[in-house]
Amino acid sequence: GGGARGPAAGWPTGRGGVCMMCTAGGDVAVAELEAAIKAQGETVRKLKAAEDKDKEAIGRAVAELLALKAQLSTGAPPPAAPPPPSASKQGGPSVPQSGGSGGGGDSGNAGQEKKGGGVGGEAAELSEGELFQRRLQKAEALAAAGQLPYAYGYSRTHLSDAFAAEFEHLLAGDVDEKAEVSLCGRVMTKRLFGKLAFLTVQDSSGTFQLYLDKKTLGPDFKLFLDLADAGDFVGASGSVKRTDKGELSVFAHRVQILTKALRPLPDKFKGLSDVNKRYRQRYLDMIVNPHVRQTFATRARITAFIRRYLDGRGFLEIETPSLNSQPGGAEAKPFETHHNALGLNLTLRIATELYLKRLIIGGIDRVYELGRIFRNEGISTRHNPEFTSIELYQAYADYEDMMNLTEELISGAAEAACGSTQLQYQGTPIDLSRPWRRATMAELVMEKVPTFDFYKLRERDGGSDIASAGPALAEAAAAAAAAASAAAAASVEQKRGGTSCR
Amino acid sequence: KNEQKRRAKQEAAAKAKAEKAAAKAAADAAEPSKPKAAAAAAAGDEEEEEEEDAGKYFESRLAYVNGIKAAGGNAYPHKFHTSMQIPTYVAKYAEAVAPGAFAEETGVALAGRVLSKRSGGRGLVFLDLVGEGAKVQVFADASKFPEWEGLDKEARNAKFIALMTTLKRGDVIGVTGTPGKTRRGELSLFPSSMLLLTPCLHMLPKSAPGRPALVDKEIRYRQRYLDLMVNPATRHNFITRTKIVNFVRRFLDMHGFLEVETPMMNAIPGGATARPFITKHNELNLDMYMRIAPELYLKMLIVGGLDRVYEIGRLFRNEGMDLTHNPEFTTCEFYWAYQDYNDLIKFTEEMLSQMVLNICGSYKIKLHPEPKDGQEPKVLEIDFTPPFARISMISGLEDKLGEKMPMPLEGDEANAWLLQQCKKHNVECKPPHTTARLLDKLVGEFLESQCLNPTFICDHPKIMSPLAKDHRDLPGLTERFELFANYHEMCNAYTELNDPVEQRARFASQAKDKAAGDDEAMFVDEGFVTALEYGLPPTAGWGMGIDRLTMLLTDNESIKEVLLFPAMRPVGMPADQSVGCL
Repeated sequence: GGGARGPAAGWPTGRGGVCMMCTAGGDVAVAELEAAIKAQGETVRKLKAAEDKDKEAIGRAVAELLALKAQLSTGAPPPAAPPPPSASKQGGPSVPQSGGSGGGGDSGNAGQEKKGGGVGGEAAELSEGELFQRRLQKAEALAAAGQLPYAYGYSRTHLSDAFAAEFEHLLAGDVDEKAEVSLCGRVMTKRLFGKLAFLTVQDSSGTFQLYLDKKTLGPDFKLFLDLADAGDFVGASGSVKRTDKGELSVFAHRVQILTKALRPLPDKFKGLSDVNKRYRQRYLDMIVNPHVRQTFATRARITAFIRRYLDGRGFLEIETPSLNSQPGGAEAKPFETHHNALGLNLTLRIATELYLKRLIIGGIDRVYELGRIFRNEGISTRHNPEFTSIELYQAYADYEDMMNLTEELISGAAEAACGSTQLQYQGTPIDLSRPWRRATMAELVMEKVPTFDFYKLRERDGGSDIASAGPALAEAAAAAAAAASAAAAASVEQKRGGTSCR
Repeated sequence: KNEQKRRAKQEAAAKAKAEKAAAKAAADAAEPSKPKAAAAAAAGDEEEEEEEDAGKYFESRLAYVNGIKAAGGNAYPHKFHTSMQIPTYVAKYAEAVAPGAFAEETGVALAGRVLSKRSGGRGLVFLDLVGEGAKVQVFADASKFPEWEGLDKEARNAKFIALMTTLKRGDVIGVTGTPGKTRRGELSLFPSSMLLLTPCLHMLPKSAPGRPALVDKEIRYRQRYLDLMVNPATRHNFITRTKIVNFVRRFLDMHGFLEVETPMMNAIPGGATARPFITKHNELNLDMYMRIAPELYLKMLIVGGLDRVYEIGRLFRNEGMDLTHNPEFTTCEFYWAYQDYNDLIKFTEEMLSQMVLNICGSYKIKLHPEPKDGQEPKVLEIDFTPPFARISMISGLEDKLGEKMPMPLEGDEANAWLLQQCKKHNVECKPPHTTARLLDKLVGEFLESQCLNPTFICDHPKIMSPLAKDHRDLPGLTERFELFANYHEMCNAYTELNDPVEQRARFASQAKDKAAGDDEAMFVDEGFVTALEYGLPPTAGWGMGIDRLTMLLTDNESIKEVLLFPAMRPVGMPADQSVGCL
């Protein structure tokens, strides 16, 4: 329960502490077991390295090793206490696993090959702990077979999208014998058809199909399929084939497991509907919902555009302290901390404003900082204790200049990130094309409450006027806030010109 | 309000001190630096100011500003339309205008800070206007102001003098006029109007030939804006810093990396061995740690399928301060699936050599370390021409010590041997005498001391590297390297440990060290091990300190020189050597 947390809701489960304690407590026993395992592993290795291999002895030694491993994992925290908090919330011991879509592997027994088109998932009756054990044993078996369950690297020739583009011309049923490609990624599904097997493998650009044929691979066919599960990373090299059904595939001449995954992937359809789990274990979210990666790629494009835009206009990006001896630049509750060596209390910055203005005084006429701000406030769908903002300051400019810059910056970011200034935000169309409407607060209020003029307040002793206009004002304020937040949402969370404040 | 007053007083006092020193130096350096005309009419108002007490100066300036306000004027105009920035002006007219000639354009408007003001005789004043690191002379001639065209010479001069006495050294002003060059060839702006935009209420530190205007580090660091105003080298340092960060970003983007942001507040501080800052989230009533490294989060993103990720950002370590340590500092870490540390050695060589060539104009850079007491100043040259040297840590150390190290390193024999070697060579190591710590000291003494030119120290033992993968050939060691240059660590990288069973065992052994009193041992992060159980593909990871690299490329020996606002001890707290200064 320690660190697998998304940025948004990443706090308390209490699990982190508990687990730390059990690790520390079961330490000695675990260490002994591990020593025994290591020794046994050595024995296996020696047996295998021997000139005249005694297969029987190897078999016995491996079995013993597996038994030790099993002992370790039942005694030690990981598999014994793995069901993540959300699993128990969902109720039921048969935790998320690749029932329908997953690979027919974890049942472990040699029988998988017989299933025609079998997608026979990891036996649903197994507990998560047992599944973990099986996969651990497979990792060990890989090592015993002289393959690394955790390889040191892999050099690929194509990402899946480049692969698809390059061999687009290939007709159904054809093989490009001359092509030599190497691709790698995470196994998402595994389907067996007797002497053929098809794996869907996911990499950072999409998925590709891996076509395994017993005739081509020989004994490796069975070895690989026995030991590979959905969730594992694999690498395959070979030629290129489009199946009769039209699926472009890597026709594997060589295939290897690169990383053995010890836990099954969550089920695509029910496993990650839990928002909490999605945020806490963002990596699972990204595996199962690849579009989530797009959100973060878009985020990166936004910040990259902002930098490019400002750098192009002569702004200098700089860094100012996050640890301040007193909070400034905004009104918000700060986080407090303590510097031990100095015995000094510090606060985390709530804004960068005052430092940046000092730099304008120092003669850096156009300056910005894009970085983290901290506010010790509640968490909501729009608030996280730490968030990223940009502040920029430009000498000899005023708020009219800042309005122009804001228009360019946000509409430009929309172009760069989304390819258009016409956005759909939560089902609502937003048009970010320039120029934007400019209106004073007084004008906006008058639109909603034609009888109420802000400017006249100055001239009157208007306490009663304000009170009577109250309800109508509140309505107008809500409308303005909605408009403002819609605009902000189109770009980074916070945006400042030289003058505005949250 | 009181606080403001108190601070104003303090600053004034500090500045008075600097002023005095500067004034003395100026007096020593004497006349010859001044233009002839100025020397002739030396009774300018600037001379009087120098004599004036800083406190009085502040009061009289404030009174002037209040006077404007009382008269209904605006001492701080909202907007001055500039037609270009000063560097653009210099670039545009430096070549295009001949000495003694004017450009065709009129009404060119510049704004900047007055860094010097010299009287040039009746009806003439010269000002140096600076902005964005460039300088232009303002050649103010009373007869060229259309506003006073109808007046006779005396009346005109009176108006001119009145205007000029309101513009002081340090003020930010706007000037509109005609670009041109003096007969002596100095690029100038010949004004038709001048406007005070922001009065400077304090006297600025003054420079003298051959000596920076502001040398007092206390003032330079605490009031960095003064440093930036008067010492051009400071500005250059920070521009180089930005160039370095931009280069790294561009280089990684070019190689298909995605820039991400991971949390700075963590429930468990992981990814490095260091004392963390602790803070508290009020609403959740939860203690949090400021991150000491983004490593574990970034590797979780590799698990999630982002094959190439990086983060450039702030880290926090609750440690004392010295020449190379600040409580917060900036690093870049990247992780790259399917690569190993051999790939990263080549990648690092490529990145750094290209960066140095790009930013410094050559693979070779020169350093001018402050001479130690009684020593001759020396110049060091560092050569970033790839490939860089490589030393395998254990065999390198054995070569230096002339003895074989007992194996395994985890054993008591190795520990005893290392302790004995430390004693033998007078290498000090404070307890606890863990094998990792002893080894670290010996490596510092015998190997890091060889690393003037960029050098990879490779293949660290497992006990020193809880997150690095076992070396594929050398038992007990890992596939890791640290890059050193100028004897300082620049980069740290390894083939990532991705076997969850092994990772849990390494964490457990760190926990043991922690229990034994090594409070810099790593915390156990179960959530991270869980992520590994879902499968981290073969991955190599890399980290580099931006501050130290900037120190190297700007020829600076203190991290404070490359931080705009370095951590400083509160005013009044005595400096303590063991603590450094905050």
